[in-house]
Amino acid sequence: MSTQLERGENVVIGSLAQIGRCGLFLLRILAAIPSSLRYARETVRQLWFVGAMSLTIIMTCGLFIGMVLSLQLYHVLSIFGGTSATGSVVALAVYRELGPVVTALLFAGRAGTSITAEIGLMRATDQIAAMEMMAVDPIAYVAVPRFLAGLVAMPLLCCVFCGMSIFGGQLVAVDWLGVDNGTFWSNMTANVDVWDDVINGVIWKSLVFGAVIALIAVFQGYTTPPTSEGVAYATTRTVVASSIAILALDFVLTAFLM
Amino acid sequence: MSQRKSYAVGTGLFIVFGFAALAYLATQTTSVVNSHQGASYVIDAQFVNVGQLKERAPVKVAGVRVGQVQSISLEPGKDVADVKLSIDKKFGQIPTDSTAVIYTSGLLGDQYVGLQFGSAKNYLANGGHLVLTRSTQPLEEMLGKFFGAGGVADAIGGSYKVTAHFTNVGALSEGAPVKMAGVAIGSVADVKADPVKLDATVTLAIDSKYNQIPDDSAAAVFTSGLIGSQYVAIQPGGSPNSLKDGDQLVLTQSAMQLEDLIGKFLVNGSSSGNSNAGGNGSSNPPAGKH
Amino acid sequence: MTETVQAQPEDRALVRIRGLTTVLNGKTVFDKLDLDIPRGKVTAIMGPSGTGKTTLLKHITGQMRGAAGEVWVDGFNVSKLSRYALFELRERIGYLFQNSALLTDFDVFENVAFPLRQHTKLPEVLIRNIVLTKLQAVGLRGAASLMPAELSGGMARRVALARAIVFDPMLILYDEPFVGLDPIALNQVLKLIRTLNETLGITSVLVAHELEAIKQVADHIYLIANGKVVAQGDPKTIDHDGSPWTRQFFGGDADGPVPFQYPAGDYAQALGFKQGAA
Repeated sequence: MSTQLERGENVVIGSLAQIGRCGLFLLRILAAIPSSLRYARETVRQLWFVGAMSLTIIMTCGLFIGMVLSLQLYHVLSIFGGTSATGSVVALAVYRELGPVVTALLFAGRAGTSITAEIGLMRATDQIAAMEMMAVDPIAYVAVPRFLAGLVAMPLLCCVFCGMSIFGGQLVAVDWLGVDNGTFWSNMTANVDVWDDVINGVIWKSLVFGAVIALIAVFQGYTTPPTSEGVAYATTRTVVASSIAILALDFVLTAFLM
Repeated sequence: MSQRKSYAVGTGLFIVFGFAALAYLATQTTSVVNSHQGASYVIDAQFVNVGQLKERAPVKVAGVRVGQVQSISLEPGKDVADVKLSIDKKFGQIPTDSTAVIYTSGLLGDQYVGLQFGSAKNYLANGGHLVLTRSTQPLEEMLGKFFGAGGVADAIGGSYKVTAHFTNVGALSEGAPVKMAGVAIGSVADVKADPVKLDATVTLAIDSKYNQIPDDSAAAVFTSGLIGSQYVAIQPGGSPNSLKDGDQLVLTQSAMQLEDLIGKFLVNGSSSGNSNAGGNGSSNPPAGKH
Repeated sequence: MTETVQAQPEDRALVRIRGLTTVLNGKTVFDKLDLDIPRGKVTAIMGPSGTGKTTLLKHITGQMRGAAGEVWVDGFNVSKLSRYALFELRERIGYLFQNSALLTDFDVFENVAFPLRQHTKLPEVLIRNIVLTKLQAVGLRGAASLMPAELSGGMARRVALARAIVFDPMLILYDEPFVGLDPIALNQVLKLIRTLNETLGITSVLVAHELEAIKQVADHIYLIANGKVVAQGDPKTIDHDGSPWTRQFFGGDADGPVPFQYPAGDYAQALGFKQGAA
């Protein structure tokens, strides 16, 4: 009993310490941003790997989310004779919740893990130490560009995701189930607000999610023991920690932005 | 070098693509056109009941949007809702004797303010006042208020409690709003069965701001729409004395009639056998003694 | 103190280690270690595995700091330098990593050009010329467009060497440069170390186990064990000094001052033959 209690205590203290270290690491990253400005080229390159390379999965998933949402809502709304609201409900659900959250989860799985694994391997193969030796600050050269790339890529990816969802929803509702095209769109435009839903829902949330995922991924890669099981473990932790952080923050942000 | 360039070009394309998606979302799927705020002027109108009208709801002339509702407030001591309408400068020629009407866009839609032009030669200016208003229409009042009630009035300023007896409160629960003229003025503090009179005693906590409600006012249990929650509506009477803490509302109207009416209209069609629209119907599954 | 050392530019020692004590995870790695690395010479540091030879190199570059003692490199006390000054010093030190540590994202040319691009604003033509010169020196000018994954271990190490010398450093630190090389590659690397030292006068520090290779290339050998220098001298004399350390290390005996057995409890008792005998 007591050992279990102690173990639980250790887990709590351990994760608090981890959060603390992560916060300190964020300070190091922020402090290194000015000196990493001359590595803008590297940031662009990371934006390509982190953002552009994630487009396929984001677009595919966005399309299917929109389609299935449209299908489900159509059947529920048809009970009340309200199928004309399909468009607006799809849009609101995607903008306010599904878009940012699903994009963030996918982003953590696709880009977060690759950032962690890459940095972990760079440490394992002494590339980080080599940079130190070549008088290049690895925080500024390795950590900051990836962090910034995640920060910039997430909102853009989320917009693409939402666009594809709307397209998928329209595909199912209008082209397949026969909701009137005009009704679908006019209902949507009447109920979706550009500030409440697009800016607050999509942009702010995904900016925060992007920063959190990129921070966790870089932190895990940077602090993991430079061995093969260390890297494997860190990659798993990136997904787990990011997912928990995303869902918890989603609640907090929704409460604040509402 | 070419390798580096291709990254830059690809990343540039990605960014452009992302912003294009944002622009698409913002312009094609939202009311960005509607909520654009150009030069506008404000007029106000008073309604006996604003129903589910919300801030930023559209103001329309002949069905075309000319502005939006800027604010809805209930002046303390009055039982009418004061609604400020912000009208686009382009539509500056609204006759002074125009009528403001609250409509609902369709059965399930949101409410909006429609302006019906009068014939006066004078036009309303900034700060102008619409004298002629018509509140939510009878059918709508019955079918009414489909989606979510407005927020419960905040109790920061303190509240006073009055009680009311109902033969049937339907699904009314603690925390449900108390409304006057469609605006929330308090909340239901307690619902319990009276062991002696065998009816429901409802305690209403009303915001102290609204301390000039006549003591012969009536309380009724209404439903916000077909699938909405129930609330208590106060219909002001004419007595010169105001309600005080601990008073009892004598005139009450129970929950059943409206639901029966809606049931008749929407579910069973008009040719239903149990047209006991006046009594305490037995077709209501939740709660109730009868 | 800095002034007194800098006042003697002809100081024979480029790296001067005095009383260095380091404790890692409770284990004393260095115990008041004193060591000099002479200018313009190839110095080899040898010792049994786990004696902290790589750790010693990390002290010289300031990647690690000792609990006590001083490390002087070209007149600077490394453990007292600010990060910025340390970076300036490191630009004059080349470091060859055990596993080459080439940046996997870039091809050979960009790897060698990396320090130039980070620290200078040289025109592209000049960078190209410098990089190709260094690649020519290690014999890999033709491999400029290959990616690190396409290189063999020996080639990767030569590329890393080209990268380490791209700034014409005053000091190169080689961490196990011969590990995992076939005899041909080993000889190529040996020849390069010798050539770089002779033609450019670069002071070289070599951490390695390969006695034969080191005897060919080194001017001076330090043998470190138990956190101290246990023997030193030139390659011809060092294995004749008669200490038990040199006899075991250079003779390759399994047992001696360096025990074959990792410290453990009583053997017989562990097997259960001496029950209760303790």
